[in-house]
Amino acid sequence: MKNIISRLIMVTLVFLIICAAPVNTAAFGAEPYQTYNYDKWGEAVPSQAGYTAERTVTGKELGTGEFNSPKDIFRDENGFFYIADSGNNRIIVTDFELRNTVKVISSLTMADGEKTELSSPMGVYVSPETGLLYIADNGNSRVLVCDSEENVTAEITKPDSEIYDSEKPFMPQRVLADRAGNIYVILGSITSGAAMFSSSGEFLGFYGANKVRPTAEIISNYVRNIFTYGEKRKKKSRSVPSGITGFDIDGDFIFTCSSSKTRSNDTVKKLNAAGDNIFDGRELTFGDYISVYDETENTSYETKICDIDISGDGNINCLDYTAGRVFQYDEDCNLLFITGGIAEQTGGFERPAAIESDTEHLYVLDEKKNYITVFTETAFGEAVHKAARLYNEGRYEEALSPWQEVLRLDGNYRRAYIGVASGLLTKGDYEGAMKYAKLAELPSVYNKAFEGYRLNFLREHFAMLCLCAAAVTGGIVLLVRHRKKKR
Amino acid sequence: MLDLTQRQWVGYTVLHPFEGFEDMRWKKGGSLKIAMLIVLLGFFAAVAHDRLCGFQFRTVSSRDFSIIPYIAGTIVVFAAWVTGNWSVCTLLDGEGTMRNICIYSAYSLVPFITQAYINVLLSHILIREEQIFMQLITLAGTLWSVIMLCSAVRAVHQYTLGKTLLAILLTIAAMAVMLCLLVLVLSLLQQIWLFICTIYTELTYRIRV
Repeated sequence: MKNIISRLIMVTLVFLIICAAPVNTAAFGAEPYQTYNYDKWGEAVPSQAGYTAERTVTGKELGTGEFNSPKDIFRDENGFFYIADSGNNRIIVTDFELRNTVKVISSLTMADGEKTELSSPMGVYVSPETGLLYIADNGNSRVLVCDSEENVTAEITKPDSEIYDSEKPFMPQRVLADRAGNIYVILGSITSGAAMFSSSGEFLGFYGANKVRPTAEIISNYVRNIFTYGEKRKKKSRSVPSGITGFDIDGDFIFTCSSSKTRSNDTVKKLNAAGDNIFDGRELTFGDYISVYDETENTSYETKICDIDISGDGNINCLDYTAGRVFQYDEDCNLLFITGGIAEQTGGFERPAAIESDTEHLYVLDEKKNYITVFTETAFGEAVHKAARLYNEGRYEEALSPWQEVLRLDGNYRRAYIGVASGLLTKGDYEGAMKYAKLAELPSVYNKAFEGYRLNFLREHFAMLCLCAAAVTGGIVLLVRHRKKKR
Repeated sequence: MLDLTQRQWVGYTVLHPFEGFEDMRWKKGGSLKIAMLIVLLGFFAAVAHDRLCGFQFRTVSSRDFSIIPYIAGTIVVFAAWVTGNWSVCTLLDGEGTMRNICIYSAYSLVPFITQAYINVLLSHILIREEQIFMQLITLAGTLWSVIMLCSAVRAVHQYTLGKTLLAILLTIAAMAVMLCLLVLVLSLLQQIWLFICTIYTELTYRIRV
């Protein structure tokens, strides 16, 4: 008997494996990495790819000669790409398809008519309002603002201010400007936030500093520091917040990211004009939930977000350089897709440095591989984007069919269950909403659906329920009388 | 007068929370089998409360479900209560035997357990906004059980009210001590087991080499 059972189990197992195998390879076939997403419990589950690597763009293909450790890529309002080719001391401007070079900027004309050379530019930004080009000219310790004819309109150097520590070097790494023309500069070795300058180059102060989270270690260090003096105190570790490593502007909000090795808070922030973090107080995790330790490489893949980009429809793209992954979130910080990985093939990275996006593509710049990888939205990605956009606008009913399409493509995608439940609820299909709310493990939506379901049930069966109630009361009264008579 | 069957005694004590246990003691009523059944039903009620309630009130995910905490929360706690009460009251001139303490305490849990089952049923009809009705029922059932428990302790040991309250407080302290020791013993046993396992693996390696 036991033998038969074990054989049966074996046969079913083999059958299942045979059935499952082709499905698995189909799901992961195209990408050189496994695509996954997180379920409700924060566990990684296989998922469909939202983006697929379409092609790579090298400097040779653009006709400018190979890139040399490029640091930044920026796409302006008109679709032109600006690539900060640091090692070659130049900025390359290409057309919207990344096919042809429009121009190469390596020297600029100063206000007094003199020519000036760029030296390892690290960041580039073009203002959508004024069309001015901002260059973080790291090697020359300055930020240059110039018009489209390469005439420098403003030059920002190390500020002479009480707030700015004069011992610290001025090493601009990233730059951007807001609508009012204020210029924000991320500086290397500065942890008090991005330096903010007025449009004329006047130093205004620091913006969006990260905080130090009072962990037990930091509190104990602080208490110990009170009682130590002199040399010993100098050797003590100081509680310094992590610096900002990348940022992007979306309308009135500036998104910053931080890739500190020691601090895990404030990795991604959404700042308003006053510098307050909109995400504060929300329990948000950006990047991987659990860091993976690779024994063969002896490295731990803890997410370090080195660049952030907001695409046209408000999605937040975070680039993690340790695992080479792009984490895409919608504007409400729900994880949409995880794309990329450390790999040799197209679609994998070695040392990703910067990310840029438009509505259908992701552009990731790799500073070791010296090329740009272009990712294109898949059918699945398109469905999710459409559904998430409609859902976030509150149009649950219109989002219903896109979410159903998402579920058809990937039954592991939890947000789709929430979306379908909400859609059915708004539509008035309470029973369906209850079913999907159960699948999404979302009692709050189930509660609303059940309320509607109960109301409909009462309306339909009101007469019947009244009759039942009357019959039961009558029965009880009769029973009581009967008992009394017996006594 | 008061010639009730064992089953009727349960109803009588529940409906007469203040003097019911005195009467039952006087008539030497109460059955251990029924007491055991009540505790078992209490265990089922705890499981049903989390697993069978309407989905809108579900707080425990089916993925994280484990039966051990429910056993520990009902049967083990009840056993600890009986043992603790017996050991405390033996020192405090209580007259109750272990058997009687078990029976009387179990009977006094009936309203609390009934309340749990009623709430499980109600949770399929009510929505979250109407949760107050369920909370009221919970409150009533709990109060009723607490009153019954006090009168059970008083009747089984023939105490005054003040001494009853003292005995209950001491019993709770004794339960805490017992559970603490239990956890200690379990962790010690676990370590011993781990030690044995380590030696075994070590030996197998040596033998192979």
